[in-house]
Amino acid sequence: MSFVDSILAGLSLVGNFEAFLALFAGVAIGTIAGAIPGMSATMAVALTLPFTFSMQPIIAILLLLGVYKGGIFGGSIPAILIKTPGTPASSATVLDGYPLAEKGQAGKALGMALWASCTADLISNLALILFAGWLASFALNFGPPEFFTLILFSLTIIAGVSGASLLRGALSAMLGLLLATVGLDLVYGTNRFTFGDPSMMGGLNFIAVLIGLFAIPEVLAMVWDPKPHKGQTRSLGDNKVTFGEYKRCFKSIVRGSFIGVFLGSIPGIGAAPSAFLSYSEARRKSPNRDNFGKGELEGVAASEAGNNGVAGATLIPLLALGVPGDVITAIIIGAFMVHGLQPGPMMFILNVDIIYGLFIGLIVSSVFLLFIGSVAIRGFKYVADIPRGVLFPGVLVLCVYGVFAVNNNIFDVGVMFVMGWVGFLMMRNDIPAAPFLIAFILGPLLEDNFRQAMLMSGSSPAILFRGPITWFFWGLTVLTVIAIIRAGIRATRTLKRRA
Amino acid sequence: MKFAKFSAVSAMILGLATAASAADYPERPINMVIPYGAGGATDISARTIAEPLGKAVGQSLIMANVTGAGGATGSVAVKNAKPDGYTMLFARVGSHSVNPAMKATLPYTLDDFRFVTVYEINPFACAVEANSDINSMEDLIAKVNEGGVSYSSSGVGSGLHLAGAMVLDEFGVEDPINAATHIPQKGGGEAVTAVLNGTATFLCTNSSALASFVANGQMKPLMVTTAEPVVGFDAPTSKDLGKPALEQLVGWTGIAGPAGISDEVAAKWGEWMAAAAGDEEFVSSMEARGSIINVMSPEDANAFIQEQYQTFKALVDKLGMRVEG
Amino acid sequence: MQNLHRQTLIGIVAIIAGLFLMLVAIPNWVSSPSNVRNIILSPVFWPYTLAALTILTGIGLTVTGHFSSEDLTPAPAEVSGGYGRLLIMAVVMVIYMFGLPRLGMVWTSMLAFVATAFLVRTSHPKTALICAVCVPLVLYVFFAHIASVAIPQGNFVRLP
Repeated sequence: MSFVDSILAGLSLVGNFEAFLALFAGVAIGTIAGAIPGMSATMAVALTLPFTFSMQPIIAILLLLGVYKGGIFGGSIPAILIKTPGTPASSATVLDGYPLAEKGQAGKALGMALWASCTADLISNLALILFAGWLASFALNFGPPEFFTLILFSLTIIAGVSGASLLRGALSAMLGLLLATVGLDLVYGTNRFTFGDPSMMGGLNFIAVLIGLFAIPEVLAMVWDPKPHKGQTRSLGDNKVTFGEYKRCFKSIVRGSFIGVFLGSIPGIGAAPSAFLSYSEARRKSPNRDNFGKGELEGVAASEAGNNGVAGATLIPLLALGVPGDVITAIIIGAFMVHGLQPGPMMFILNVDIIYGLFIGLIVSSVFLLFIGSVAIRGFKYVADIPRGVLFPGVLVLCVYGVFAVNNNIFDVGVMFVMGWVGFLMMRNDIPAAPFLIAFILGPLLEDNFRQAMLMSGSSPAILFRGPITWFFWGLTVLTVIAIIRAGIRATRTLKRRA
Repeated sequence: MKFAKFSAVSAMILGLATAASAADYPERPINMVIPYGAGGATDISARTIAEPLGKAVGQSLIMANVTGAGGATGSVAVKNAKPDGYTMLFARVGSHSVNPAMKATLPYTLDDFRFVTVYEINPFACAVEANSDINSMEDLIAKVNEGGVSYSSSGVGSGLHLAGAMVLDEFGVEDPINAATHIPQKGGGEAVTAVLNGTATFLCTNSSALASFVANGQMKPLMVTTAEPVVGFDAPTSKDLGKPALEQLVGWTGIAGPAGISDEVAAKWGEWMAAAAGDEEFVSSMEARGSIINVMSPEDANAFIQEQYQTFKALVDKLGMRVEG
Repeated sequence: MQNLHRQTLIGIVAIIAGLFLMLVAIPNWVSSPSNVRNIILSPVFWPYTLAALTILTGIGLTVTGHFSSEDLTPAPAEVSGGYGRLLIMAVVMVIYMFGLPRLGMVWTSMLAFVATAFLVRTSHPKTALICAVCVPLVLYVFFAHIASVAIPQGNFVRLP
């Protein structure tokens, strides 16, 4: 079957009203669900799954993919408006999105988030269509040693989001790494800091920590110093993102998209690290580096490009290998199986019409996302007009519901409250929260892959230097660390000269 | 205003609540706890049966994934729930026979639960990567005795962990814990990936988790743990290989409540399960994934789980696999 | 207190925390099986590494804080009595946790909403009161009936 035949076969499958309706409904559901803290994209996909059992396979999968894509974008809305990331993937968006909203430029931030998301989505989908086979075989080269070096390199992001002091950033990261050790040990299954509590055995819930660290400290800060007269002027305004601004950020968006494609095609990393990596790369390359973290539009663009760039690419291991890249694609694989489809290399031969139908649907979904996203922004803009004395109690209650819903566990609400106090203390002492979060995500991956590598080699560290991929990341890590140290020395010197 | 509303609603609902008794069970939706994550084998199995089961129950079933610690977090949530039949658990081989057999510090035992049914049985299969030079169990065992073989699992105390050790033990490998390296992963999907990318040599897992990889020619099955051949798996059965003891090694999904649920509740569940399992769509979609639908009565379910638990426990003690800390 | 830079203080706290982890927390609360073949595979290896790194970071903070001229003293609050309000907020959170399984999520949330609105000195008390009733109810309807989450109902008043 030629390429044109394949496309025609795909088109005949999705070229009908129901397919487009499913895709449209999916994106809409995802955007709304993503915008509700705690209702992450994962949960939205899981909740939609049972409804798709009775549908045609292609329509069912398009609906789920729509929910996924909408959810990843939707998470940026509360991240910008109320500093509560709707999904873990949008936590990097908080860093510059919320300061922009504080300045009364929420409209600009949301608009940029949308444009960056759609651009990255499109690039990611094209990468899936053009390079699926190649990227999939590349991803299979990633065993524990390669993962270990990749994650070690990713930890250098911490330097990029530490703000004023690298050391305080490092301390924050240490806290995150330490808290991530709570739970059952991977290799021996023994307890670590669980105090015999079955809820602690599962480890601290990531979303509870995330919301606790970002949203609750804002509420506490408001309690500490209620300034009723302030913030009422804060509104979405009419400020829209201009083409000039988009063009200025375009380089960062494309870079973020490729970071997303790369990390998305390797199973097991997910969208949050990709967003942070894209953000810190954009900061490193940007001329307005010092403005990052204080409300820089390019920061929003980079982090949203980073997380949406993952969305299409996670389908690469799914379709080409039948391997789920993250929790969401694990659910989507479930949907394939419910419909008797078996993702993997054979699917490109046996069900080529479905594959190309999906490709066409994915491209269309980027357009739908742009349309639904702009409607959603208009709908959610009223959040910015709510007086703070009502908004903050509302945020508190919303977070409690959301965090409970993630794992149906009241314990998680307690985790969120405690993390809220930790976050508040950190805020008062100028210790940045972002390194904590990155370390909390990457720490367990680093440890697990290190120990798996050691198990593979019988504890010989030589395995950490096998093959060109590990050397590549070792090299990158060393270069980045040298750059960080040099920048640190320079910063100390200027500080001393000033003093 | 708030108080008026509060009291009006409470009066209405308290009125309803006092009229309720065991005979009316169920008079409100039932919480069904799934102790594993969305998209996993337990989750799909549970959500597939929820449809016909909900019709049989006549009330909606609220599916709640409570994940963590290899199923322990969700299991404890049900153990501690009120035994009124409104909180039930989808129990699985990992959470209710392997874990209790292996972990000394597990915060629950089998006695904390009352099983109302086991409805699905899923055989295990062992497989290697398709390009591997291992073509049979014999090759594998020879390789193990040479050394350098590893197997992946979805974590310590998972069914996959025990299965790997049990298979090697049955095939006469001495000291299987040290002869082959166990490389635990974070989940079932990751365990399969680990074999695909060469991190581990082989794994033994539910046939449903392997079916698509075998069909796609990415993996080579070596054995299935049933007496009858499994459709789609071109591999000898454990009976063919003269290891009938391995037939104990099957995955299952069942429904359990806290230990204190009444006989009436258990009896009702027996009726509902019989009705639900008759649903053709349910049966065909489960069988398409390699499962065998066989609804057990509460007594049979308990006997089945106890027998599997004792087998596993004996093996764990023999091999010194017990997790103490 | 006054002579020490805030960063130095943070550093000292980090050193103490690291020592506490090394000497008390890890030996007592991380169990390591006796049959560990190699120290780097042991469950305590990573926590010890982290504790050591925390102490190093703490030393770094202490030293640099000594030379730092950065002003870390937060701007004074405009409204006084912050500590009192924070204390009340902490109590509200404890009651919230306690009430969730007993009173139910909806009713507890209403009370917490009112308490928080009062603590942040809302300038719209009437709106806040109306929202205190509506927001938890609307969220309940959404989560329980659309997203089918088993929202805790409590022992007293059960919502449909």
